Amino acid sequence: MRIDSFTKYCVVALVVFALLSVVPLITDDISILDMGIVICAHGLFAMSLNLLVGRTGLLSFGHGGFYATGAYSFGLLMQTGAFSIPAAFALTIVFVAALSAMVAILCVRLNETYFTFLTLAVQMLFYNIILSWTSLTGGDQGLLGGIPKPVFLSVDLVNPVHLYLFCSAIFLVCIVLLYQITQSPFGYTLKMIRDNTERARFLGIAVNRYKVASFTLAGAFAGIAGMFMALFVSGAYPSFAYWTMSGDGIFMIMLGGMNTFLGPLVGAIMLITLNDLTTIYTDHYGLVLGSFILVFVLGLRRGLLDFIIEVIRDRRAPRKDNKKHPASPKKEDLQ
Amino acid sequence: MDFSSLFGCISSASCLVTQSISGLTIGMLLFLVASGLSLIFGVLKITNFAHGSFYMLGAYFALTVYQVTNNYFLAVCAAALGVGLFGVLFERFLIRRIYGSNVLMQLLLSYAVILILDDVVMLVWGSEFQAMGMPEMFRVPPLRFAGAYIPAFYIFLILAAFAIAGGLWFLIEKTRFGKVVRAAAHNGDMASALGINTSLLYSVTLGLGGVLAGLAGGLAAPVRSLVPGMGMSILIESFIVTVIGGMGSIMGAFLSAIIIGLTRSFGGIVMPEFTEGLMFLVMVIVLIVKPTGLFSKGQD
Amino acid sequence: MNNNSSKKNLHRRDFVKGIGGVAAATAVTGFPAIVRAQNTGPIKIGVSSIMSGRVAQLGSSSTNGAKLGVDAFNAAGGLNGRMIELIIRDSKGKPDEAARINRDFINRDDCDMILSLEASTGAFAVQEVVRELGTLCMHCLSETSSLTADPKLRTANAFRSGRQGAHDAISAGSYAAGIAKEKGLKKWMTVGPNYAYGHDTTEQFLKYLNHFSSDVELGSQLWPKIFQPDYTDVINKILQEKPDAVFTCLWGGDLSSFIEQGNLYGLFDQAQYFCIALADYTTMAAVKNLPTGLHSGNRYVSTFPGSAANAAWEAAYVNKFGSRPTNWSWEAALGMQYLIEGMKKTGTSDGNEIARVLPGMVVQSPFGVDGTITMRAEDQTVVEYGTGWGVTQSSEPFMPDVAATDWKLIYELEAAWKKEQGYI
Repeated sequence: MRIDSFTKYCVVALVVFALLSVVPLITDDISILDMGIVICAHGLFAMSLNLLVGRTGLLSFGHGGFYATGAYSFGLLMQTGAFSIPAAFALTIVFVAALSAMVAILCVRLNETYFTFLTLAVQMLFYNIILSWTSLTGGDQGLLGGIPKPVFLSVDLVNPVHLYLFCSAIFLVCIVLLYQITQSPFGYTLKMIRDNTERARFLGIAVNRYKVASFTLAGAFAGIAGMFMALFVSGAYPSFAYWTMSGDGIFMIMLGGMNTFLGPLVGAIMLITLNDLTTIYTDHYGLVLGSFILVFVLGLRRGLLDFIIEVIRDRRAPRKDNKKHPASPKKEDLQ
Repeated sequence: MDFSSLFGCISSASCLVTQSISGLTIGMLLFLVASGLSLIFGVLKITNFAHGSFYMLGAYFALTVYQVTNNYFLAVCAAALGVGLFGVLFERFLIRRIYGSNVLMQLLLSYAVILILDDVVMLVWGSEFQAMGMPEMFRVPPLRFAGAYIPAFYIFLILAAFAIAGGLWFLIEKTRFGKVVRAAAHNGDMASALGINTSLLYSVTLGLGGVLAGLAGGLAAPVRSLVPGMGMSILIESFIVTVIGGMGSIMGAFLSAIIIGLTRSFGGIVMPEFTEGLMFLVMVIVLIVKPTGLFSKGQD
Repeated sequence: MNNNSSKKNLHRRDFVKGIGGVAAATAVTGFPAIVRAQNTGPIKIGVSSIMSGRVAQLGSSSTNGAKLGVDAFNAAGGLNGRMIELIIRDSKGKPDEAARINRDFINRDDCDMILSLEASTGAFAVQEVVRELGTLCMHCLSETSSLTADPKLRTANAFRSGRQGAHDAISAGSYAAGIAKEKGLKKWMTVGPNYAYGHDTTEQFLKYLNHFSSDVELGSQLWPKIFQPDYTDVINKILQEKPDAVFTCLWGGDLSSFIEQGNLYGLFDQAQYFCIALADYTTMAAVKNLPTGLHSGNRYVSTFPGSAANAAWEAAYVNKFGSRPTNWSWEAALGMQYLIEGMKKTGTSDGNEIARVLPGMVVQSPFGVDGTITMRAEDQTVVEYGTGWGVTQSSEPFMPDVAATDWKLIYELEAAWKKEQGYI
């Protein structure tokens, strides 16, 4: 009997969730749960960005803007006291998606490098607005006073175990959705757009509409990631909207692998772990972390999962090496 | 938004001169950094995100040489040559290794370099902010012009930057080296096929970009406080300049640097809290209206 | 303190209720941090600060200040043989990292208490962590008054051992008004870095300047970008407007650049300058030619308070670290001292116990205006620290005489300000 693939992913997700739920039962160590929450936030951020970068071939350097908007919107809604957490969650997703669609419509007309620059500029505009609109956002001090977490459906997000389970559950739902998106005809169209936009256009595909859709979805998921972080730190800070946030997302994708679905998640775990280890065990995190990334980039020259998958593939059929050249007028090869 | 102050300033000769000189000074320094960025992009098709760190190194090299020799010109030359050499090594040992890879790998590489350099600078020079102080020859009363005060050093800075811009233009447009650079920028494969030693060219280009950034750092050092991480802000701004001017266009970088400099100085009158936001707004508008940059020839 | 005492008692009752509430909440959720009441092994104190990047000096000088106190305490035998262990980590100035590092301090590293050496944004992030987890926290470097003044932001287990914007503004305003009267300074301008601290400090200064002085004409207010020390346009605006006096809350590298550049124009001969953040050796010594006659509030100078204890503390710091202390250094040292005194008084390293004894605690301190400093009970922040103004000279000790501001004046105006803000 053929099992529907969607059902398959759901089952896998449920199994993973079951495994994750066991963790708080075996250990008292809340820092592991905290780590889990942070991985959910950054991991979802990187995975959503890869929908654009890896799947659609759109290098967005403005993704942090939606992450921050998610965090601030959620925080502000909860601070009014008029919404329950699920309601605020839903409203925030809608708001971030709408914003993301508007930015997309603005940006997708441009190609490649200019698209990237424009997304960066738009994000920095968001950042400066957040900084200047002190009466709403608290300016450079961020949202003050904490985010109230009223109980809903007997889920108490003040309890770190509940927050961990909540974030993990929603994270897994998002991952399954993202996978569905990439494996669907929509996802394959995105891939076609990535590989050869002109050809896609000639085939009659409304390329810009697909790009906008991809961007909107990616932005919405980034907003959810922002909400995780807002719940975790009980606030929202302008640094969420600084371009370095988007940079971190790109780095996670590059470290883990752009061409494998779970690559960005692996990269997120790598970067977070490395950052933690260097912060705890060294006095010079920049030197150590930088050196590690340097060695990694020069040695592997691609993301970890991509590397592993290539090694496995090469075992079966060896490939010719690419000639190294920096300047090619055409779009460079994506394997 | 304080438009009345702006009109008041424009109608006052002294304010107009002041703000314009101020804008030109900011712009010229930005140009020096941005021109290197633009050049590197034009030839190697790389956005050198470590460029801000080049600038920082230039400032620190100048500081040390000045502290030892008390000679400002020597300090600036040391900065230029030191960072130029660093640029060559950077290309030779790091960038070259990842040419075939995704452009994002280059970004990750630059990020690693920034992290390392910021820490190295902190280890070598310390975490406190340092000041070079104004060199003796510039410790003169400011010039007066139309009621405005113009410090001698800023005149020097503007003239020096103009001279460097002129030299760069001459290099690119009128020399054989420049021809080679332009050819490689236009079509690297073809240039290589025609027998141009492109790998040497790339090293030299990054070296030249380093020289420009180092000059900027050294020239700015007397009027900046030096601190590890100081490269970040100049990176963002020079990035905006290159985008607005057109990546790969030196003339574009020059003109847009002036525009950005003036926007900053006059914009600071109208809405001081949002001056940086204003620059990004200009960038957004330019990208929507003419994405390849205001002064590029429109290809790419 | 006369009519404040009844108010204090009222607040103490609320505070005890608050502690009870925290204890109840933690009992329900069962955090291991509270259950652990160990009395053996090292006393672990979690310290997160900014150790890299542009403000790295904040981290290095403040952790040095804390270490000075810890080393002395440990050398004298510690707490019945138990030594203090500082766990210092770099938050890189990112508030979400600060939050996570501090949570790990409490949840994983078994820290008994937190010494928060974050700047103001990071401090707010840490505040939310300790509010939720109930751990004792001493904020040392945040100068934002609302951290302790605003009852919505304050929490029973968090204290502040540093100076406050509100106090400094009153001190500055009263001094400046005095000079204004003396020298007939009517037309003022302000130059402040373009972020919350700059705006708030300038606003508060002007409020108190106007309170003490009847004759203030405010000209342009300039807001250069922080860390972008190119002050040509600021300087030119000042030269055009020709004010009698300029107030600036620029600090650190920005301030030293401003002075360097201003010197070129002879700026400081043309008006009276009031620099609230000048008197830190790192700033004053960094300027190659420090002009004479700049008015400055004290950040850290060994000449004020002019006690032997203060000079001795500076000597010990310089001896140990090879650099001079900053404002951040003394604030961290004071914070550490309070934690140590709390441990001595309760005989334990239990944060809850210590949090009970800290409110109202008076300590002998070289930084106190009369040799002592009090941790005010009603809002859990320090008072009676030396705050005053003086005039610079171009050679050591740069600011020989400092006129101390009367704390009675500060209390009176601070109370009025709190009422205005709706805090009381």
